[in-house]
Amino acid sequence: MRDLIRLLRLFAPYRNWMWGGIALSTLTIIANFSLMTLSGWFLTACAVAGVSSYAVQNKFNFFTPAASVRFFATLRVGSRYAERLVTHDATFRLLAALRVWFYTRLEPLAPAALQNIRAADLLSRIVADIDTLNLFYLRVFTPFIVAGISGLLMVLFFGCFSWTAAGVLALGLVLTGLALPLLTLTLGSASSAEVTTLNAALRAEMVDAIQGMGELLSYNAAPALQERADALQERLIARQAGLSVLTGFSSAASGLLGNLTLLGVTIAAMTRVAAGTLAVPDLPMLALGSMAAFEAVIPLPLAFQYLGQMRLAAARIFQLADQEPAITPPATPSPRPGNFDLDLRDVCLRYVDGADWALENLDLHIPQGSRVAIMGRTGAGKTSLINLLLRFNEYQSGTARFGGYDLRDYRGEDMAAYITVVSQRSYLFHTTVRDNLLLAKGDASEGELWHALEVAQLAGFVRAQKLGLDTVVGEAGIRLSGGQARRVAIARAVLRDAPWLILDEPTEGLDPVTERELLRDLAAVLEGKTVLYITHRSSGLELMDRVQTMSEGTIL
Amino acid sequence: MAEGRRTRGALYGSIYLGVAAGLLIIVQAVLLAQVINRVAFRHESVAQVTFLLWLVFGLFFVRAGLSWAAEIVAFRASGRIKTYLRQVLLARILRLGPVHAAGEQSADLAGVMIEGVEALEPYFSRYVPQMALVVAVPLAILTLVFPTDWISGIILLVTGPLVPFFMVYIGYKAEAINQRQWQKLLLLSTHFLDVLQGLTTLKLFGRARDEIQIATQISDDYRKTTMAAMRIAFLTSAALEFFASLAIALVAVLFGARLIHGHITFYPAFLVLLLAPEYFVPLRGLSVHYHARMTAIAAARRIFAILDLPVGEVPAGGAPEFEAIALECAAVECAYAEGPPVLQGMTCRFEAGKITAIVGASGAGKTTLARLLLGFVRPTRGAVTINGAVDLADIPPEAWWQNLAWVPQNPRLFQGSIAANIRLGRPDADLASLREAAAHARALEFIEALPQGFETVIGDLGQGLSGGQIQRIALARAFLKDPQLLILDEATANLDLESEALVLDAIADLTRGRTVILIAHRLALAERADQILVLDEGKVVESGTPEALLAAEGPYRALSRAYYGEVAPCAI
Repeated sequence: MRDLIRLLRLFAPYRNWMWGGIALSTLTIIANFSLMTLSGWFLTACAVAGVSSYAVQNKFNFFTPAASVRFFATLRVGSRYAERLVTHDATFRLLAALRVWFYTRLEPLAPAALQNIRAADLLSRIVADIDTLNLFYLRVFTPFIVAGISGLLMVLFFGCFSWTAAGVLALGLVLTGLALPLLTLTLGSASSAEVTTLNAALRAEMVDAIQGMGELLSYNAAPALQERADALQERLIARQAGLSVLTGFSSAASGLLGNLTLLGVTIAAMTRVAAGTLAVPDLPMLALGSMAAFEAVIPLPLAFQYLGQMRLAAARIFQLADQEPAITPPATPSPRPGNFDLDLRDVCLRYVDGADWALENLDLHIPQGSRVAIMGRTGAGKTSLINLLLRFNEYQSGTARFGGYDLRDYRGEDMAAYITVVSQRSYLFHTTVRDNLLLAKGDASEGELWHALEVAQLAGFVRAQKLGLDTVVGEAGIRLSGGQARRVAIARAVLRDAPWLILDEPTEGLDPVTERELLRDLAAVLEGKTVLYITHRSSGLELMDRVQTMSEGTIL
Repeated sequence: MAEGRRTRGALYGSIYLGVAAGLLIIVQAVLLAQVINRVAFRHESVAQVTFLLWLVFGLFFVRAGLSWAAEIVAFRASGRIKTYLRQVLLARILRLGPVHAAGEQSADLAGVMIEGVEALEPYFSRYVPQMALVVAVPLAILTLVFPTDWISGIILLVTGPLVPFFMVYIGYKAEAINQRQWQKLLLLSTHFLDVLQGLTTLKLFGRARDEIQIATQISDDYRKTTMAAMRIAFLTSAALEFFASLAIALVAVLFGARLIHGHITFYPAFLVLLLAPEYFVPLRGLSVHYHARMTAIAAARRIFAILDLPVGEVPAGGAPEFEAIALECAAVECAYAEGPPVLQGMTCRFEAGKITAIVGASGAGKTTLARLLLGFVRPTRGAVTINGAVDLADIPPEAWWQNLAWVPQNPRLFQGSIAANIRLGRPDADLASLREAAAHARALEFIEALPQGFETVIGDLGQGLSGGQIQRIALARAFLKDPQLLILDEATANLDLESEALVLDAIADLTRGRTVILIAHRLALAERADQILVLDEGKVVESGTPEALLAAEGPYRALSRAYYGEVAPCAI
């Protein structure tokens, strides 16, 4: 719950929009309630006047209530329309606010804190979580507040005529709006959880069937999978049927509670009418009012369902956003080095206290202009070396100097300005080729872009596209092959023109022919730069001055 | 929705129950109006109407029971439809084969089978019963109101149909706009995901902070255009509200005027006022569940797009057991869908008990040739013959697959334990044969080093298995099956040196004594084959022993240079 309150605090700048939407929603419900109660009262009052003497008939004010009936009808229409506009507008504003807040919190944490959640499906879950939280205002906060305010107003109105009727109404609203949804959720929680698990299991079987179909068929294992899927589905449908019994009960019971409230209110009012302590027109008024009142609690069962999801989503999001950055940036501006020599002595780095060292007593000297290859197996510490240089992660001991200054004196973004990384993980955004290149140099001219593409041997391909530089990359546009994607990263490096170039397994995942071509074309980019080439294979080593082997966090 | 017919009974049952519950509301209103009329205007005591009150009380429970039953029965119907559709879909997708499953259009087949089929449920369990209510309840109310008071009858008769009318002519279009806008919102989510995935790259280029500005700008622009569209879309709900409120206000005011002059009595007026909101309730429900209809239609479209795809005839009957297998392709032509032929006039022979390597640049047709021999694609011309006697097209694919094992470039590990994965082709294999197969595949050591050994569940492994380990499990699968024919897509290019050595040793063991067709991406392995076929543009351009091909200045030499650069082959 604390997380949700924190969420509301994030939304504070938009509180006018939020309360505006709530006020309009309340007004919509009250307008309908007024329309129904007044119609009932008015009709009966007219009937009472109709059977009375002419004197009474003449004294009866027909026009004010008749006009009010029309007024409330109009108000209902207007406020409903305005309410939907305002609440949706607010929802969009809140979504933008939430994303910006989350991004602002996450940016300093990357990539260290994101290392554990690299996998795309986990990032998708974060995005889905934020989308879920965005509905907090529309689907949870507003319904509860509106039901509370309008329920209270309607009960108070009833109280003006009969406290018994008011009590019955209050009880009916609380049972329908709070007790019943909570009961349903509690009874259904085990089944719901199982439905989620079964759905995931069924999906996994389907994904297996689709992605592994070749092996499945050629090993004649498809019938077995079909049997498993059938069994899963049978269980799923049985669970869902159980849930449908429960939701059916819930909606039937909600209708029943509304009706019983109507009956209770009617009996309470009738007793007073029969005793002569309540005017005749108040009886139909209260009866119709109790029918209209339940509109306020209709969205609550859904709100309770969302509430559960949102608490989980909020907990996950805040847990992620609350992590400590891996590095505290220096208070003073970064030094401006005269050269770009790298000198590491006895450097030790680990990601978690007490864990194994990722870099252990590492000694490495790379003078400006030299080309050094670091070879090692997966897990040898090659990536940690990059994390160290780019100030993604803090080292615990030893001395690290870049251009003669302590590495700790540099801010991460300034180190990034001296070093360009070309790796298999270089990300291609789902936007145009141009935007993907401009990332490296925002003010690059058209000529510079084409030059970079020429060096990266990608110009021909881009020129052949109908939209040229404005061709969209990725799902919405052309798919680039693995080699072409790597060439975009190289073109970025050319545009960037930083003194240092780190090649982080740049040919990983490419077939041998493409690998050779890429390495051949890289030679031109390496000219005049300090190069650190990280690899676990022997290809491309001929481009280097020096080859060093890395193992278990240290240079052999 | 032909499949819907199978469960017609349950669906009708649910509709009848729902309509019965809906009609009882009229009885309920009549009783309630009588109670209030008798107490308020005939000055009866509460005791005198007790019987009626009990009747109303009982009626409430009957109605609740009916609507509960309607819900349960409706799920029965949709549950059956879902089960049936998923079975049919899975069977059809398996029949369409792996080539279709890997295609572009089938990006989200799993989504169609899970969420797509699920989306049909609200249509059957909510929208269809609601449609019945929309017809039955307002008609019944009108039948009662007209004899009671024709003026109110006309008001309801005129306003009621206007609601669906407006929903059709504004609402449906507006709803479509609405949906499109929400879709775009989802695209915004995709953009956000894009930025998160590329966050490290953005930081490396010092551009991470700029993204905040861009994201805010995009969201804001999007909000403005969406709200402009929604201003129209929300008119639907306003129209519904307008007619419902107007009708009630009109009924009240017109009755008031006639009541005050004693032209009419209280009871009919109050009854009509009680019924007027109920008249609009089903219409309101229809607009709520309309969304269910839209999603269901979209889902049904995707489902039937799959079910309507043509599948070829599959030959029936058994197939001969083959002692040894030799394969022959005679002038085979192969094409995907409407595309140009990928194999054109492919003629080649794969000797029994020999290793034949297939090499060629990417796009030369290596993968298609493997698919052809596996029976995943059928030749558009020419034929593949087994042992010079049996046409591959004449035997059922299941029977053909009994004879072979296939190890693809990126082997798939399935949900379940490592043991279950190795047992894929022989589910009844005992532990001893399992260990033997794993040992041959050089996988035994690392599997037994895992805490749960063979029972380790794939996916529960924190770091997952390395590429080399996955390949060795796939090889163990093939060892366990012990086939006559082995089709192997070699992919050692991205393994580190140690893994690569183990995989190559395992492959060498596995190929012994079988007919082997080896799709070679690197030449190191191809050079150990008995025969090499060089493919280019869907044809065999050169064939022979490795020694002969290296000696000849042909396409193989050219390819070899591209692989190794100018360096001699022994340098790798």
